[in-house]
Order: sequence, then C-alpha cells, then structure tokens
Amino acid sequence: MRKIVAFITCMLCITGIFAQRSITGKVTEENGSPVANASVAIKETGVGVFTNSEGSFTIRADDRAKTLVISFVDRATEEVSIGSRTEFAVTLRPQDKTMQEVVMVAYGTARKNALTNSVSQFGAKELENRPVTNLLSAITGIAPGVTTNSTNGQPGTSPAVRIRGFGSVNGSNSPLYVVDGVPYDYDIANINVDDIETVSVLKDAAAASLYGARAANGVIQITTKKGKKDRTQIQVNAAQGFMSRGIEEYNRVDAYQYYPLMWEAYRNSLVYPSAAGTAALPIDSANKIATGLMPRNGAGLQVYNGKTYSDISQLLGYNPFNVARTAIVGVDGTLNPNARLLYADDLDWLKDIQRNGTRSDYTVAVSGGSGKTDHYFSLGYVNEKGFVLNSDYKRYSARMNVNTQATNWLKTGLNLAGVFTKANQGANDGSGLGSTGLVNPFYSSRIIGPIYPVFAHDVNSGAYILDASGNRIYDIGSMANLGLPNRPSLTGRHAIYETRLNENILQRNVFSGRIYADINFTKDLKLTTNFSGDASNSLRSQFENKIVGDGAPSGRGARNTTNNFTMTFNQLLNYTRSFGEHTIDAMVGHENYDATYRTVTTQRTGQVIEGITELSNFTTTTNLTSAKDRYKIESYLSRLNYSFMNRYFLSGSFRRDGSSRFAPDTRWGNFWSVGAGWRVDQEKFIQGASWLSLLKIRSSYGLVGNDDLLDDNNLSIYYAYQSFYDLGNNNNTEAGAAQSTVAGNPDLGWEVNKQFDIAVEFGLLKSRINGQIEFFDRRSSNLLFRVPPPLSSGGLSFPQNIGTMYNRGVEISITGEVVRKRDFSWTVTGNWTTFRNRITKLPVKEIPSTASSTQKWEVGHSRYDFWVRDYYGVDPIDGAVLYRAKAWMPATTKVLAKGDTVTTDQNNALLHYAGSSIPDFFGAIISSFNYKGFGLSFQLNYQVGGKVYDDNYATLMNASYGYALHTDISRRWKKAGDVTDVPRLDAGRNSQFNAVSDRWLVDASYLTVQNVTFSYNLPASVSSKAHLQNVRFYVTGENLYMFTKRQGLNPIQNFTGVTTNVYVPSRNITAGINMTL
Amino acid sequence: MKKMRIVFILAATVILGTVSCKKSYLDTAPTDQVTEQTILNTTANAQIALNGIHRIIWRQYFQQSQAGEGSMMIMIDNMGEDLLNNASSSGAFYNGIYRWEAHRNADNLDLYFAYFLYYRLISNANMLINNIDKAAGPDAEKRQIKGEALCYRAWCHFNLVQLFAKRYDAAAKPNTQPGVPLMVANTTEGLPRASVEDVYTQINKDLDDAIANLTGYNRSYKSHFNVNVAKGIKARVALTQQNWALAATLAAEARTGFPLMDNTAYLSGFSDATNSEWMWGSIIPNDQGTFFYSFFAFMASNYSANATRTNPRSINSNLYNAISATDVRKQLWSPAGVTPPANGTKFPYTSVKFKVKDPNFSVGDVVYMRSAEMYLIEAEAKARLNQDAAAAAVLFTLANKRDPNYVLSTNTGAALINEIMTQRRIELWGEGFRFTDLKRTNSALDRTGANHNASIAVTLQVPAGDKRWEWLLPTDELNANPAAVQNPL
Repeated sequence: MRKIVAFITCMLCITGIFAQRSITGKVTEENGSPVANASVAIKETGVGVFTNSEGSFTIRADDRAKTLVISFVDRATEEVSIGSRTEFAVTLRPQDKTMQEVVMVAYGTARKNALTNSVSQFGAKELENRPVTNLLSAITGIAPGVTTNSTNGQPGTSPAVRIRGFGSVNGSNSPLYVVDGVPYDYDIANINVDDIETVSVLKDAAAASLYGARAANGVIQITTKKGKKDRTQIQVNAAQGFMSRGIEEYNRVDAYQYYPLMWEAYRNSLVYPSAAGTAALPIDSANKIATGLMPRNGAGLQVYNGKTYSDISQLLGYNPFNVARTAIVGVDGTLNPNARLLYADDLDWLKDIQRNGTRSDYTVAVSGGSGKTDHYFSLGYVNEKGFVLNSDYKRYSARMNVNTQATNWLKTGLNLAGVFTKANQGANDGSGLGSTGLVNPFYSSRIIGPIYPVFAHDVNSGAYILDASGNRIYDIGSMANLGLPNRPSLTGRHAIYETRLNENILQRNVFSGRIYADINFTKDLKLTTNFSGDASNSLRSQFENKIVGDGAPSGRGARNTTNNFTMTFNQLLNYTRSFGEHTIDAMVGHENYDATYRTVTTQRTGQVIEGITELSNFTTTTNLTSAKDRYKIESYLSRLNYSFMNRYFLSGSFRRDGSSRFAPDTRWGNFWSVGAGWRVDQEKFIQGASWLSLLKIRSSYGLVGNDDLLDDNNLSIYYAYQSFYDLGNNNNTEAGAAQSTVAGNPDLGWEVNKQFDIAVEFGLLKSRINGQIEFFDRRSSNLLFRVPPPLSSGGLSFPQNIGTMYNRGVEISITGEVVRKRDFSWTVTGNWTTFRNRITKLPVKEIPSTASSTQKWEVGHSRYDFWVRDYYGVDPIDGAVLYRAKAWMPATTKVLAKGDTVTTDQNNALLHYAGSSIPDFFGAIISSFNYKGFGLSFQLNYQVGGKVYDDNYATLMNASYGYALHTDISRRWKKAGDVTDVPRLDAGRNSQFNAVSDRWLVDASYLTVQNVTFSYNLPASVSSKAHLQNVRFYVTGENLYMFTKRQGLNPIQNFTGVTTNVYVPSRNITAGINMTL
Repeated sequence: MKKMRIVFILAATVILGTVSCKKSYLDTAPTDQVTEQTILNTTANAQIALNGIHRIIWRQYFQQSQAGEGSMMIMIDNMGEDLLNNASSSGAFYNGIYRWEAHRNADNLDLYFAYFLYYRLISNANMLINNIDKAAGPDAEKRQIKGEALCYRAWCHFNLVQLFAKRYDAAAKPNTQPGVPLMVANTTEGLPRASVEDVYTQINKDLDDAIANLTGYNRSYKSHFNVNVAKGIKARVALTQQNWALAATLAAEARTGFPLMDNTAYLSGFSDATNSEWMWGSIIPNDQGTFFYSFFAFMASNYSANATRTNPRSINSNLYNAISATDVRKQLWSPAGVTPPANGTKFPYTSVKFKVKDPNFSVGDVVYMRSAEMYLIEAEAKARLNQDAAAAAVLFTLANKRDPNYVLSTNTGAALINEIMTQRRIELWGEGFRFTDLKRTNSALDRTGANHNASIAVTLQVPAGDKRWEWLLPTDELNANPAAVQNPL
C-alpha cells in the first residue's frame, strides 16, 4: 500500500520541462534473482516505471532528480541517491512490516510507526484462508481485545462484536462500522470478503475519537480494494465447501430409559405431593397408580380413595412399545424386559430435515490503472446451504472503485457496490427474539421426549399410517382422527412439517455509493469532501400454513419491508507541512449524518387458493402498519498531529456532535483526545543495539460518546427524551392510542466513554520477534440505562443516564518468525487479552433485576455478573432441592447440622452473585508453515474462566411429561440416604427444583480449532507457462471442533452467558483456488 | 494562482453552505406515535387515548394465556372447582394456574401479567383523570372521559386487591391488612401497599365520581362504560365488602335497560355484544384478533386451536348434575363431551357455551358484565340480608327465564343462599367469577368427588383462609419497589 501511495503522490507533482537524461539499472532479490514489476520512481519529479521480467529498468531523469525510489510488494522500499550515476544495481530486502505499515485511521491513513493510538489491522492476506461469507465471522482471534459471539448458525447471519469489554448497559455495545471512510449501518454480510483490502480495528478513544459520536465501543474500519496503477490483473477466487453441524447435541436419554424415568417422576409426585395439605400416597399405591393397575372408572381413569388418577402412559400419551399400556413399567419402576420399540427408526427429529450443507463462493475481480486513473471491478457470488432444510443464503455482489486525478489540483473517485441477497430462514425462529419458537427445529428436536415419532404410526402395530397417496403423515401430536393419543409436549405442532410447509424468506438489496473530491489548493492544503449514500431495502415474505402451527386453521401470510437510507456528507480541510524536523498535519471538518428508516408490516389471514402465498390470496387483514424513523447527527471535527525528528509524536483531536436522539438542550456533546508516542529506538543512546529493531512507547486518552439506547429487543430507541402514545390501538371502529411502556426523559444525554491507553511496541532480532503490550482503562460514565420502574407504575422502562463502569485490561500479542529461511518459514502469533469489568457508581444501590434475568447490576460487580438463587444441594432424606434460605418460614425451611439454614421454597431462596460470564482471559494462537509453495496454517481460539448459564441443560433436567431428559438424570436421588447433586425426579416440583440458580452455571472455558488451512502455490515457472501470475490451491476447515465442559454447550453463544436453542453453528470444510491472470 | 482562488471560493461556499445547517436539523419525531402533550391537548384527542384503554384491555401480552381480561377470566375460573382442564402437559397454558402453582411462584409470567395488566390500565386511566380538566373541549366530554377512566381505575384496583391481598372482611373493619399500591397519580417511585380498607375506600370514591360523571351519558358501544356499568361494578364491590343492602340496590339499578336474553340467544355462543343482557364487553372485529391468545382459542367449541382440540375445558360433573333437565343451560355441556374441532379429542363434560362467530378466526366479543349477574347479586345480597322472599323472587326472574319449569324457590336461609350460589356457578361458568366468589365468601376449594383428575389438577382442596388464597406479588415489583412487601410464603 505504502508504495502505491508514495507512487501516486510522486505522480501528482507537477512536472516541468527540464534537461533530461537516461538512468538504467537492475533490481534483484537478496539471492540474486531478478525482480520483475518493481516500481522505480524519481522521488523529486514523480516519474516512474516498472522493471521488466529481467528486473531491468530505464528511466528518464531531469536535473531535479536526486533520489531513486524502488519498491515492490513485501519488500522494503529502497531509496538511492542518484548523484551523477546512470547505472544502478539495487537489492531488495524483505520488508520490516511493523516499521513500514500504513494504517487506516479515522478520516485518513497514518504510518504505523507514527501512530499514537491503538489500532489493529489485518487484511486480504489474513482473510484469504477463511471460508466465511461475513467478515465478522473471521475476526475473533485475529485482533487482540476483540470478541465475537456465535449466536446463530443460520447462513448469512452476523455475529455480535465487542471491543475491549462492555462499555454500556442498555446502550449499544456494538462497534461503529466504517466502510470506505463512512459510517455503515447495515449488515457487514453485505460486503464480499474478497473485496476487502484492509480491516482496522480502532480500539482506544484516541483512535476512534474522530468518530466521536458513535465510537464509544470502538470502530471497525473496512477498506475495499483499489486498482493498482500499471498492474492490470484479473483475480479469480473459487471455493466449494461442505457445511455440517458444528456442535454435537446434548446427551439425552433414549426411549427405553425415558419411560421408567417419567414413571418415577410421576410416582414421586404422588408420594411427595406438592400441594400443601394433600395426603401423601403410600408408595405401593403410588407405584400401582403410576403403572396403571388400579380399578378404573367409566372415563378410563384409575380410582383410588375417591380420587381419579391417570397412569404414566396416559400422561405421556404414547406407548411406543409392543407391550400393553399398563405393562410398560412395572411396579418396581423398571421397564418391561419384553418391551421393544415399534418405530425405533422414526425417533430422530432432525434427521428428516438435516442435509449435507454446501457452500460455494466465487469472485472475479479486474483491477488496474493507467495514466491518471485506477479501477477495480468485482463480481461475487456466494451460495450457502445450511445443514438444515430451508436455511440458505445467496448473495450476488458487485463493486466498482474508480479513482482519477482529473486535474493537477483535483482528484476524484467513485466507489459503488450493489448486493442482492436472498436468505431462506425457514429453519430459524423467524421472530429473532427467542429461541423457544415451536417452529424452531433445533428447539423442538432437542426438547421433545424420545418416545414421540416424526410420522404417525398405528398405535398397535407401529406401522406407518399412510395417506391416500401412500405417503407418510407427519404426526403433529393432536391427531385423534387417526386414533392417536395427544402428545403432551409440542402438542399440535411439528417443527419439521412446519418448516417444510411454511415460508420465511428474507430478500435484501443494498446499494452503497461513495464519491469524493480531493482539492489541492497548495502543496500543503487540501480540501476533501466525501458524499456517501447507503440504501438497504428488504422484504421478508412469510407464510404460515393452514394445517399445523400458528397459521392454522386458515393460513397466514405476511410481507414486511424495510426501506433504509443513510447519507453522510463531510468536508475536511487538511494541512500538512514540514519545517525541518517538524511535521504538522492538521485537519478541520464538518459532517452531516442523516438516516431514514422506513418499515411496512402486513399480515393477512384466511388463505383462499392453496399454494399461493401473496397477500391478495387472503381474506382478512390482521396487521397493517408503517413507520418512519429519522436519526441525524451533525458534527464538527478537528485533529492535529505533530512529529519531531520522526521520533516524538503528539496528536490531539476535538469533535462536537449533536444527536437527534436527545432533547435540544442535551443533544450536543464534546469529545476529544490527546496522544503521544516516542520511538525510543531512534534515540542515539540505543541506536547501537542491533538486537532491537523497534521500541515505541505510546499513550493516549480520550472521550467518545454513545447515544444508542436500546430496547428489550436490542432495537434503537430514537426519541427517548419524549413521552408518547402508541397509535394503532384502535378499539373496533374507533381510533385509539395507548401510553407507550417507555417513559420519556427530557434530561437524557450522551453516554461518555473515557479511555486511557498505554502501550509498548517492540521488534527484536531484526524484527523476527514483534509484539506489543498494551494496557487500557475504559471508563463509561452517564451510562444509558433503561431502569425498570415498579410494575405498579404501569410502565416497563424509564431511560436514564446513571452510573459509571470501567473495563480495565491488558492485551499482549507476540509474533515470532521461528524459522526464516529461503524455502521454509514458520511463524507463530499468540495473543492474550484479559479485562475486568466493574460498575463503580450508581445513584441507587442496585438496578432492579427482573425475574426473567439471571443478572443484576450493582456497584462493585460487572455488567455480566450472575445473580441467581444459591443452590445448596439435594436433601439426602427426600431428594428435594435445598436453597440457602432468605428468611425463616416454618414449613419450608430447616437448619442443617452444619448450621446452614436452607429452604425448599424457591420464593424464599437467597439470591447471590455467582460469578460472571466474562472470562478470565481469552485469545488465539495462529501459526503458519511455508515450505516452498506449500503452506499449512492453523488458528486456535481459547477462553479460560467465566461461567455460562446453561438454560438448555436446565430444560433437559426438568421432569415434565413429554419433554426430553439429559443423561445426567442417571445421577438423581433415588432413595433416602443417597448423596448426589441431582434431585429426585418429581413431575410436580419443577418450579421448585429447577428454578433459576447457580446449579445451572458451568465453566465457560473453551478451545476451538477455528481454522486449519493447507495451501499450495504453483511455482511461477509453471504458472507463467499458462500465462498466470499466481495460482494457489487450498483446503480449509473453519470451526472444526470446540472443546467445552459439556457436550452440546456453546459457551460463546451470547455475551450474557445464557444459552438458547438457536441454530447450531456449522462446521465448514472448503477447497478452493485463487488465480491471478 | 487566479484559478486556485476560484477553486478556493467555490470550495468555501460548499463548506459554508453545508456547515450552517438549520437549527431544526436535529429535531426528529416518530410517525407512529404522538406525544403525550398532543393527546391530552383536546378532548377529541383524549377520546383516542380512552379508546386505547378499551383496546389494551384485550390486546396480546407476553404469552398465549395473556390476551387481557379474557385471559384473566379463564384464570379466575380455572382456580375454582367448576372449570377443569383435561390435559396433563405442564407446558399447556393455564395448567399452572389450574394446579394452584403459578400464582404462588413469584417468578411466574401469568402472575406478572395479572399484576401488570391492571396497573397498565390504571396508568392510562390516570393520564386522563389527572389531565382532562386542562384539555380544550366541551365539559360534557370531559366528564364522560373522566367518568370512564375512573371506572377503569376503580375496577382495576378492585381486581388487584381481590387477587393480591387478603379478602375484605366487613366484620373486621378497618381492614388493615396490606392491599396493593394505590395508584391515583402516575409515578415511577414505588409506593407501599395501601391497606385493603384504603384501597376499597378509593375504589368506592372513584366509582361514585364515575357515576356522577357518567349520569346522562349515552355511549355508542358496549366497550365503553356508562352509568349502568359503573353501578354494576360498584354492586360487585359492595357484594365483596359484604355491604348487602348497597349491593342489592345498585345491582337492581344497574341492570335497568338490559333485559335477559331468550333461550335461543343463550345457545348462540356468548360472542356477540348485541345480546340484550350484555352490559359491558369488548367488541372485537376479525382484523383486531388476538390469534391463539384469544379467550376463544381456549374456550370455544367451534374453533380449532391446540387447547380446544387437546384440552377443551369441562364443567365440574357435580355442578352439571345440579342443573335441571329442562334448563336451557343443561344444553351447554354434555357428559359424553361435545364434538371437538376436527382432529380434536372428546372429553367428558365439555362445553359449547362459547363459540366464535367464524371458525376461521379465534375472534368473538368478550363479555365482562351481563344483567344476569346483577340478578344474582341482588338475590344473593337479599338472601344474606335474610329477605328470603324478595331474594327468591329476584332469583325466579332469572332462573325461570332459563328453565320454564323452574318454580319459585321455597328455600330459606343457608339453603336459599346455596341455591343462589349454585345458580351463579351455572350461569357465570367460564366468565371469571369462581375463585373470587370462593375467596370473598371465605369458602374452601373442594374439587373432590367430581371429574377432576388428581394427576392433572394436583391441588384438590384448599381450606378457607389458607395463605394460598393470596397471589404472590411478582418478583419484578418487589425488586423495583422496595416499599412493596411480599405476601406470606
């Protein structure tokens, strides 16, 4: 990059007419082989040529020419004094990357060694091995301090990204994305990864402060590729892969184990009745009732002591065995040894819709440049088919990037991108809110009891029941017409069948345009104006069938559209000047940001003609709403960088932003930063140390803002300073409006993030070891909170700026070139991040938690500290769950021999802090071996410490009729005296035994084999015969395996550390070829 | 250099032209909401806010057992002995309530909903009560809006105090036991629980004001309040406070103009507000339906929902047996079970009382007050005042309408009260009265000896006065309102 920038700069210099002469030379590698296509330029005049295939060049120089600049990809740029010589031999050496890199920073670029703030940058090279559709899927582990979750395996979805901890509570914690210099509010999946040249993660306030308004959570800058002058090339990337389930299912009991377990759960509920005052049944009678041996009444129920009872087969509905209903489980609680399953082949719910997922990814890019213009065009196509039916994602993308030096004072360019995506989200929840939607096949297949078949079977023979055309019939669990019993779980629902019948398609068209003009007034003074527009329009087409599920009985269709347009317009005035050893770089600017979000949601019921799902084919409109939101920011910005002797660096910035989200009196915020850097290695006293190639100390402090208060569904609240009535609450024919559940707060203002950062960067042994150690302290103040008011106020949230919180941590990253030989190299990179998150100030002692939450916010605790019941253990006497008691209650509390007061009533359980979902430390190990053309690389991501609240597991430990059980149930309490941590199975005590408590917390440590790639580059001698510059073959595996504390667990599913039943992440194995023509 | 100067001027113009944005550039507003100020500005707009309350009394809340008051009616009856569930699934809606578990689990979502629903209605009502006087518009409209809002506030506090506090005992005045937070002005500060006595005092005051304000007001729809409904609510309150004389008087006044329906109408499905004896109810068109949240998705015999197919509600067999064979109400249930919707399962003693108007939609009008109830209130109150003859006469009007063979009761004293209460259980089955009737009369719950399945019902008997008659306050209220104290666990 740097060379190109330097080269272009040179070209811009105005050439006059001077005396000319010819200079010739040869450029070689250290080993003597010629370097073709190296750039050779005269520094003073900007005249440039490229070397030919023998490495030779001829260039015309006039009498101003004093320095020759020779540069080539991955090689250190050489500057040679011309003097009176006309013949040169130049040897290029490998580039010392850390010293030379140009880094994309806010509103411009900077040389890495002059940087005073924290920026991690990676680019096309790091991404070429990663078979991902979305850049964000590849980001974890590459940049220290950055974490992503993997909420959803649905193809095309984006993970959430956090940089250096969690800066906000109810405000957004997402970084700001900046694409080609302009904030980008849309899905990063819209960007073809092959189009990406560099990704910069601006981590500290000083780096990000120029994006002050929305940079509190860091900035991820994405820069797309540009053409390279005089190097026309065609790049073809083709990859084809397979996708499969990345995380195994939880271990669950099978049908043979299940029936006796549920028998026991029922029997115990009779022996230990949950209703106070109800007499316990003698165990012999309870055994008989559970098995079904008591006399029956006319309704088929057993009668005992004047009360009627079901047997276990009546409660479970189905008898999957070849024995009589009352002979499945004996009075001793064991399964009848003669029992055999009638339909053992039909109990795997996911099998029917699981498939071999595939992934295709093709990009063709043409780039180049001539004269004063460069260009880059690309076309991309991705087609992902998830490993579950009706989950796929297609993306067509095109990009054009053209830049031209129109006149000697005007440079302009246009970057246009168009993306069309079509995602079939049939296997997803659809609502996007929870994961317990009954159409979600992951949820349904996980929790359904192992005795319930996918298809309907004759209750006696177990044979498939066929329809008139001889096809199997899906068993929806409520088919009395076929003589089937009702299924107590997922009654009347069938996630598999519904996934097949329903439709849930999201189409999205995104257009992005960026245009700019650079106007040079003088050599030092430049005006840049950028104008950008991003339009994202989507249509979600949904249809719910009339046979089974939410659409029944009449069918339901919906068409929901969004129409979003975001505009940014800025004007930046830059002044750069050197005075001797002093260099000044100043910038002032102004920016407008204007976003319009429109939605139309519709829903109609009463499908008329089968097979047509358009709205006109329904009879009754049940939803028809539209809304428009505006969000605007106006900003004034400035920056000053100063360097002295290329050794001392100072920088400062100031920015003032007004946000439409706050009231006129509170909407303006001032944000600023200062930074300093010192290249210690440039000092005389140390310059002699040959082992030290770089030593830099840098530090910065700055303020950035956050205005993005979110609602319960993580959607932005745009007008929190006003109180509203929601329209559309019509009462029959009369217009109506109801109070919004969010109370307005006119005093609401900016959340401010103050960040201090200090780092040491070093290079040792001729840069064979490079690294940096960095300490950060992010303090968020005026936190945006949605405080839950008492329910009796009739509202659900009250936005306020209260409290402060810090994220304090250390990031270390070290890269070592273990072997650096001509044919063999081996590099290892390790990074390690730890941080501590603490709430330090609140006006009240604590922010009230809610029953549905597992966490509470209080001074001295982190944003993600678990606040749950204190699970004490299992009472060896009766197998009941004991919690530490809050208060003495006569019937439900007791004092144990050890002196602990415990309770069986979950309402009286003591709640306590029980760890945090934030790990002790995390990071990655990345290594690559290269031998001649062969390459082998791998990336391991790790996390140690932290807890996960495994809600999925808790559900599987719940003895509820018809629902699946985890195999850990085998450890349950069975008889008096048993000492165990799993309580007795009791269908009547789920709300007591399985209440939210620290019993469900599990260590969140993991190790992931994130990527392994094997690649082979054809030797140039072979590829050139086919007129190809470069050919590379590779096989790569993404998300290959995750080691966790429990099978089925995904510890990085959510930052809150609570597991849900979303689409399981996929494992991806891909083979591909990259060709450069 | 001249050229440079031109460029510079051009560029400067561009900068200045854009830098100086209008001051209003950053003022934005939503398009699907209006500000509080706008809605409270005029009486015309305030009517819109009032209609909003009439709507959110039936909208979908957090889960399918939560479509506003219709769902509360199912809960109240499911906790008595007369409305029983047939399916065992713990995941099935209302089963936790039927078992007497949900209302004693402070984290439970149904309990949370009950508490939130009424306070949400109160909050909306308070906005009108406390601001309508400042709005521009005719006084008559202000009185009507305030009167209707007062009805809501009173009725909601009344429902809350019945569920979450110990019952009102006229023999123990003043009733100092903790009631519920009394919200007469909106605040996010948590208020302590006012005493039951104070809550009832405010309820009666609000109802008196409502009656004064609504006198002379002719409503357009039965989803609105009028003076009859206000009096009807006050009759219920008086009955609960064992203020028999007042209850009898108000009930008689309230039902004026709402003649009892005939026996054809009685079998037509209880989903049409045009019925002559409906005094108050929600009128719900198809395009405002609540899908599987709807009251009818659980209670209607002709609408296919999971609940109606696999867990249709049945009547207590003892109560069914108490209905005379010539009574039209005997036709609402069948010992063998009524025909369920397609693919449904038939259970004994299921009902055809509730039917949707169109089987494609889970939609019907939901009745909150009928004049039949007013007869029953008057009869009960008079019987408890030992005016046996008068009580029997009032009962006769209703019972004879339902059963032409019914003869004037000769019962007296407890036997008469018993007969009236049985009539009440039959007449109001499924309409949300049984739990609160048991509680206000300090009776025990007894589900034994009938068709309740102990495996499903779990709780068959609860003695009168047991702490389980009080619903627990939801965790979220306790957490956010330190002044609120939980009921005894």
